[in-house]
Amino acid sequence: MTSSCFHCGDAIPSGLSITADIKHQSQSFCCYGCQAIATCIHDADLEKYYEKRQNQRATRPSDDNIGAFELLSDPSNYARYVHSENDAHTMQFAITGITCSACAWLIEKRLSSLEGVNSAFVNVSSQIATVTWKSPLQSPLSIAQTLLAIGYSAQPYLPGEQDLHQRKEKQKAIIRLGVAGVGMMQVMMSSIAMYAGDMDGMDDIYRQLLRWVSFIFATPVALYAGLPFYRGALRDLKNRHFTMDLPVSIGIGLAYVSSTAALITQTGHVYFDSVTMFIFFLLLGRFLETVARSNQSLINTDDALTAITVIRNSESMQIAQRDLALGDTVKVDPGQIFPADGTLKSTLTAVDESSLTGEYNPVIKYLGDNISASTTNIDQTALLEVTQLGQNTKAAAISRITDRALTEKPAIALLADKVAHYFVIAVLVIAAATYFFWAMQGEPEAYWIMVSVLVVTCPCALSLATPTALTTVTNRLKNDGFLITRGHVIEALAKVDHVVFDKTGTLTLGEFTVRNTTLMTDEYSKSDILRLIAGLEQCSNHPIAKAFGNISPFEFSDIKNVTSQGVYGVHKGATYCFGNADFIKSQDIKIPAALVEATNTGLTLYLCRASTLLAKVDLHDQIRPETKEVLERLTGMGIAVSLLTGDTPMSAQSILPTKWFSHYQTSCTPEEKWRWLMNQPSQNMLMVGDGLNDVPALAGATTSLAMGGSSDLAKLHSDAVLLSNHLSGVANAIMAAKRCKRIIKQNLAWAVCYNTTLLPLAVMGWVPPWVAAIGMALSSLIVVINATRLSRN
Amino acid sequence: MESLFILIPIAAIFVAIAGAIFVWAVKGDQFEDLDREGERILFEDDEHSK
Repeated sequence: MTSSCFHCGDAIPSGLSITADIKHQSQSFCCYGCQAIATCIHDADLEKYYEKRQNQRATRPSDDNIGAFELLSDPSNYARYVHSENDAHTMQFAITGITCSACAWLIEKRLSSLEGVNSAFVNVSSQIATVTWKSPLQSPLSIAQTLLAIGYSAQPYLPGEQDLHQRKEKQKAIIRLGVAGVGMMQVMMSSIAMYAGDMDGMDDIYRQLLRWVSFIFATPVALYAGLPFYRGALRDLKNRHFTMDLPVSIGIGLAYVSSTAALITQTGHVYFDSVTMFIFFLLLGRFLETVARSNQSLINTDDALTAITVIRNSESMQIAQRDLALGDTVKVDPGQIFPADGTLKSTLTAVDESSLTGEYNPVIKYLGDNISASTTNIDQTALLEVTQLGQNTKAAAISRITDRALTEKPAIALLADKVAHYFVIAVLVIAAATYFFWAMQGEPEAYWIMVSVLVVTCPCALSLATPTALTTVTNRLKNDGFLITRGHVIEALAKVDHVVFDKTGTLTLGEFTVRNTTLMTDEYSKSDILRLIAGLEQCSNHPIAKAFGNISPFEFSDIKNVTSQGVYGVHKGATYCFGNADFIKSQDIKIPAALVEATNTGLTLYLCRASTLLAKVDLHDQIRPETKEVLERLTGMGIAVSLLTGDTPMSAQSILPTKWFSHYQTSCTPEEKWRWLMNQPSQNMLMVGDGLNDVPALAGATTSLAMGGSSDLAKLHSDAVLLSNHLSGVANAIMAAKRCKRIIKQNLAWAVCYNTTLLPLAVMGWVPPWVAAIGMALSSLIVVINATRLSRN
Repeated sequence: MESLFILIPIAAIFVAIAGAIFVWAVKGDQFEDLDREGERILFEDDEHSK
């Protein structure tokens, strides 16, 4: 029986029983972390969260480091991040793990109930909480601890220059859209009165009144809301590269100026209604497009506040990472990340270099060995003498390859741009030719025929066709845990014919799991053996310990770690040890030869009590349960699947059979991965990865996807992030993108049909500008409705 | 019908006021989070705690 965790929805390992009473019902959890969070939520009377979130699942907090908030006790840091007015202090927290409005509700409720908190507001789109509290009743640290207790990890957040700019631009766009919408409605009301007057008769004085009213409401729309188009047109003229802004501006300008002239001289028609509607629909299309394409991960990583411990003048102190200097000795606890390149000053420790190399088996470092920045210390508290900082570290070198990869990224948007350029020239020529033809014929309406041509050709529906579909799909994918951070992703995903996977952490879980337990005696049952090991490993940060993290441990005392070999401990008076073959041999315990031969490529460890061998345990990185199915689904869709890994061929093939892939490459360096991608003939590749070693490839691939548990740098340089961490998201997203492309094609076909049918009619002078404007509105509406079909399954 | 000369300007003034309120709301960050506000009403408490 597999059931899922009440809090995070992950499958509960079989045999595990962690429960808690939530709302008078016993609920099961996958780990003690989830149990603690749910209990905390329950104790705060907020268990309604679980009803409100419906199908959304919580993400388990990956990072429980709140050292950054401890640094805020330094007044200079505090002043930078916290805005204080008398005793009301305000600070922004960047929160990870917000998946829906229910999370926002939970956080706001929990924080507001704290003593001294005046207000808490969570922005779901940007994942930022703004909290105001009364000092000294609360502190950033206490708030971060509260957040952690309900399952969200936080970082101090300071908006960067670019974020502020983006926010301002978005506000302006909303105001423009509002002005255009309200203006359009008012002008339309007067217009309908005028059309009614045309049919039933109306005194000239009232007609003139309504014309003035339309003029008054159309003016802010034309002069303020339309500004972006005029700016675009000016830029076009300067660059000699034409976009739709130019005919749009000319159309608006001509219609507005001549309508105003007609109003004042009281001769001819006014077309303020067409002008305002035109502007409103174009602005709407643009707005939707920017929202869909804007970078949704706003977390400002350049200037993150990270706390590190250094030893200066034989005194240990906490400083911010940016204050670190060459020659400093840094104290790095197990589980922490080395902040800079350096040499080891303590005797030895084991280091997880998987972020750099993809190899998850820890590497042992001795006194004097070099250690790279952004690798993780897992075993002993280490002292590091800093030799390289910032731009000179190995991790920074990888990000430099990445920058280069980014600039060489194939550009997709260029073609559409070129087409638009010639289209615009054609429109202008046709409009001018129409005018001259009718003027030569002595047609008094020649001018208005030309305006009609400009309005009819304006691809309003055309310009809405793509953004509406993109917005719908982007939002749907986001709800499914597929976050798109760059603009071209959906177009590119629809064309993908080759998916390249990294192995560790992408196709596999990237952590050890127990594969096999061989009992040597009858004394213990298998589950007791595992519980003994869990007891020995319960205090360890080593990746091996994770394999036993979900097993309820037996009680142990006097636990001692022997770096990279094993661990001792005492349980009920007997000494147990658990470690690799060398460790067991050093205890003078013989391992039967038959056992050694049966060892596979994974990691084999032995459990002994005193000098008796109790059991052999095989550990292995495990493929994700969904991997095979997803690979088959992709192949079934006619998509080639490849594997690029930094691992050795032996280790890779033992869990992922070669026959699942069309290309299988092992022992790749980060640069080789990128080079390989660059040398592929196909432009339509999707790279899926997670570690720092994938970063150049992620940045260089046409489209890249980072797993939810990826390193920050990997997330930053990929075009999309798989927040759900479930590989089926890859196949689903490709399907959704294909559907989106189909809808876009339908929309475009309709819009082009509409434009091309009406263009000759307009040239012939059969379409007055108001008909052109209404036709445009209707065709736009059809396009929008068609796009909303995408939000349904 | 002459009343239109009064009523339409009055209506126009109301529209202008509505527009000003809209601009004020946008500047006051009320349109910051377009994902959330639509659902907020569903998250109101049934029981009143305050």
